[in-house]
Amino acid sequence: MLSIIPPELIRIVVGMVAVMAFVAINVLVLVYAERKGAGHIQRRPGPYEVGPHGILQPLADAGKLMGKQLLTPIGADPILYWLAPILSFLPVLLLFVPMPFGPVLTVQEVNLGLLLILAFAGINVLATLLAGWSSNNKFGLLGAARAVSQSVAYEIPLLLCVLCIAFQYGSLNLSTIVEAQGSWPWQWNFVCQPLAFLIFLVSSFAETNRAPFDLPEAESELTAGFHTEYSGMGFGLFFMAEYANMVVVSGVCAALFLGGWKGPGIDGVWWFLIKVYALLGLIIWVRWTYPRVRFDQLLNLNWKWLLPLATLNLLATVFLMKVF
Amino acid sequence: MEILAKLAFTIYAVIILGGGLVAVSAKSLVRSLVGLIVTFFGVSGMYLLLNTPFLAFMQMLIYVGAVCVLVFFAVMLTRADGQGEEAAPITAKRRLYALAAGLLPAGGLALVLVKHPGISKILPEEVPLPALGSGLLEQYSLNFELISLVLLVAMSGAVLLTWERKEKK
Repeated sequence: MLSIIPPELIRIVVGMVAVMAFVAINVLVLVYAERKGAGHIQRRPGPYEVGPHGILQPLADAGKLMGKQLLTPIGADPILYWLAPILSFLPVLLLFVPMPFGPVLTVQEVNLGLLLILAFAGINVLATLLAGWSSNNKFGLLGAARAVSQSVAYEIPLLLCVLCIAFQYGSLNLSTIVEAQGSWPWQWNFVCQPLAFLIFLVSSFAETNRAPFDLPEAESELTAGFHTEYSGMGFGLFFMAEYANMVVVSGVCAALFLGGWKGPGIDGVWWFLIKVYALLGLIIWVRWTYPRVRFDQLLNLNWKWLLPLATLNLLATVFLMKVF
Repeated sequence: MEILAKLAFTIYAVIILGGGLVAVSAKSLVRSLVGLIVTFFGVSGMYLLLNTPFLAFMQMLIYVGAVCVLVFFAVMLTRADGQGEEAAPITAKRRLYALAAGLLPAGGLALVLVKHPGISKILPEEVPLPALGSGLLEQYSLNFELISLVLLVAMSGAVLLTWERKEKK
């Protein structure tokens, strides 16, 4: 019986189950880390009541979210309204397929892995838009309108930075790019592509709708933006998708610019995880340190600074590669 | 494996046709757009079946990730749920015209397919990315440049349209 099933299929199924577990555990840990981090940055203890030092708080949150009633607002488009949170979380599992966790620890080697991640990450924008539009709520609509102008704008410098690295190695396979980098920090890509690294970091903050670019859900202006009307797990799915996307962005950043699973001493999955969690820590730190930018500032930053700089960087990379 | 390929083809075809049907028959513009997106998904699956993952992912990246999002944005700005021309009930005559408009190109394509059946049913080899790039810039550079010209014309047309509207106000 087992011989009929191709081994690749078994690998994918086992990989997907592992990815699901990884995503779920990460969401739980990140929720706790975020609330605790926010607390300490704002000089308060953060969650403290549920379990020792509030460590069981994410489980309580999950129970609360699952126990809540699912409401569809009057006048909302019921199909599109419930399609949006599902569409937001569905591609997340696919995004982990080409992620190089370790030398052999990849769900499936995809030659166009980088392209796969970029292609399916775009669905998240669509889900945000659908959610905002179908809620029949003006805060939702405003949040959606902001989300689209933000994501469409910041996707361009992000793509240009990724292209820089892809050009440099002539490959879109994340594992190949990681293998081409050395074990020591000065052999990693952020040394020879510092500008691309910086622009990638800023754009990925904007792409994941994280502060200081969390305008689509700006609490102080739009209640909760595009997910104002969602209750229970409807909101929960958006929430999980946001954290999972943070992990994906950190993973891609680690693989492209920080040497992936390579590091001083013994190479392996631990280096990848250390880098990913360091980047996640940075994302959380930035969120609770910097104030939200204004909308015109957000667009000006992208169109006047990031886009020209990224284009110049790409041209310079191509030029240097042709010369040397 | 051939049965699996046929099964996949059927599934993708059903997705494409179903999406297309939703796109033309839905009352709300946004639902039509979702139908269109479903169609794009199906087409991208067809590309995968043809062993051209690059085209499949590009289809997702450009059509689903960019074009549809921009169309959605335009729909949102126009507040299309009002009593526009599209909201009027569909007459039998319009249905007939629409059917003819859909069947004509489909029939033409089917005729071509019947006259020139596929040379082989073997899975084509995946074109490596460097070969694709050099093909676009060497062998087919003229076609490539012509496509960019079409895009330029479309873009300048869009700019021109908005300019004229501003003058009227």
